[in-house]
Amino acid sequence: MSEAASRPPLIDCARAQLRVIGALVIREMHSRFGRRRFGYLALFAEPLLLAGTIALIHQTRSGGEGIRGNFEFFAIGYLLFFNFRGIVTRSSGTIPSSLQLLYHRQVTLPDVFYARHLIESVACTGVMAIFVFAAIAFGGDAPDSPMKMLAAMGLMFLLAQGFALMIGAATSEWHGIERGIHVLTYLSMPFSGLFFMVDWLPTWMQEIVIWVPMVHIFELLRDGQFGDRFRPVYDLSYVAAWILATHLIGLAGLRVARRRIGLE
Amino acid sequence: MGLELIDVHKSYAMNTGRKQVLRGVNARFEKGERVGILGRNGTGKSTLVRILGGVEAPTRGAVKRSMSVSWPIGMAAGFQSSMTGQDNCRFIARIYGRPAQETVEFVESFAELGEYLRMPVGTYSSGMRSRLGLAISLAIEFDCFLVDEALAVGDTKFGRAFAARLERAGLIIVTHQPSLVRQLCTRAAVMDQGTLTFYEDLDEALATYNSL
Repeated sequence: MSEAASRPPLIDCARAQLRVIGALVIREMHSRFGRRRFGYLALFAEPLLLAGTIALIHQTRSGGEGIRGNFEFFAIGYLLFFNFRGIVTRSSGTIPSSLQLLYHRQVTLPDVFYARHLIESVACTGVMAIFVFAAIAFGGDAPDSPMKMLAAMGLMFLLAQGFALMIGAATSEWHGIERGIHVLTYLSMPFSGLFFMVDWLPTWMQEIVIWVPMVHIFELLRDGQFGDRFRPVYDLSYVAAWILATHLIGLAGLRVARRRIGLE
Repeated sequence: MGLELIDVHKSYAMNTGRKQVLRGVNARFEKGERVGILGRNGTGKSTLVRILGGVEAPTRGAVKRSMSVSWPIGMAAGFQSSMTGQDNCRFIARIYGRPAQETVEFVESFAELGEYLRMPVGTYSSGMRSRLGLAISLAIEFDCFLVDEALAVGDTKFGRAFAARLERAGLIIVTHQPSLVRQLCTRAAVMDQGTLTFYEDLDEALATYNSL
């Protein structure tokens, strides 16, 4: 925009943007969970139930041999994947559901995405904390480094956000890809690092999965959970490169999309 | 202090090529001025409003905004129809950095919506929607109110209260109703074939518009 004549200082811009994102978070919570007092609990119920059940299924099937049959391994791992899936699969609906908001010029497309992703990540992090405490309460070990686990959740949030921005921009131009997104996220599950540690795989498979950015984040999570009990393999600069690239493409795409979507 | 358009062009991609909607619009609106822009349907009025409101960027040209300008207030604009009037009100207050509760109270006393304020905006009539939009914008206190059509306020209690508030504020109203311009504005312009022509005299503007 050519408004250079009266551009406010950067700090004011940042403050205004935070205000908008805050308002968008409240709006999103209201429209997703209603205004009743316990509506917000639904936010935590979904990941809690899904991750809990999936972990139980895996535990009863594998019969508990070390980490592989561990409740925390699947429950907490699944939450990390749930965060990614939640952010990415919702991304195609973000622009259509926020068209009316664009009548207010301080609301930008990326803000709408950020607000949604914050909600999703806070829910998953909250449920992750619940599982960690529950595991300790039932006689499990305390995590080796909670900070590494939080960092893993943060990185997954950013990686998913990068993809979501790209998908959001792409679906606003080409409808129909959104149908593929669900299938792709579902199919990405076996390759995500949710069900394995790189160290367990034969060398030729290790060399392949190491290209998947999500695998590195899962290894970081398990490093934080189990510490020295096995050998994690991750390179955070590789993950950072993915985050940066997806954000750049996504934000550029949204700028193009913003010019092309017509308001009534 | 004001709002200025310098050689603004806007075109949209259509199936049959690009459609030129605005072809070089120049305009300057001072703070506190009340300007009416008249145009027949399909002459690019709504596009002009969106560019004035900063909702869309021009294809070419510049917009210089050095006063606070409202969002384009109109029939549908700016509301989430699944949310209640009250929640929409809170949301808009928050993004403009105004206290949410006070804004709701002002709208409650001004917009004459009664219990409908706690119903989804999707259930509103068009008159109710425009009252809600105008009331919220008055609560936020812009230097300049940007109104797109649909001012179905008329000679009601709300209409008189609204007109009284506007006496102290700037206004750009884009409409096809000459009576509204005569009632609310001190200067007028006519939009035709993608360009905007200003007239110092209201009568001259209205006469030109009527001859189109």
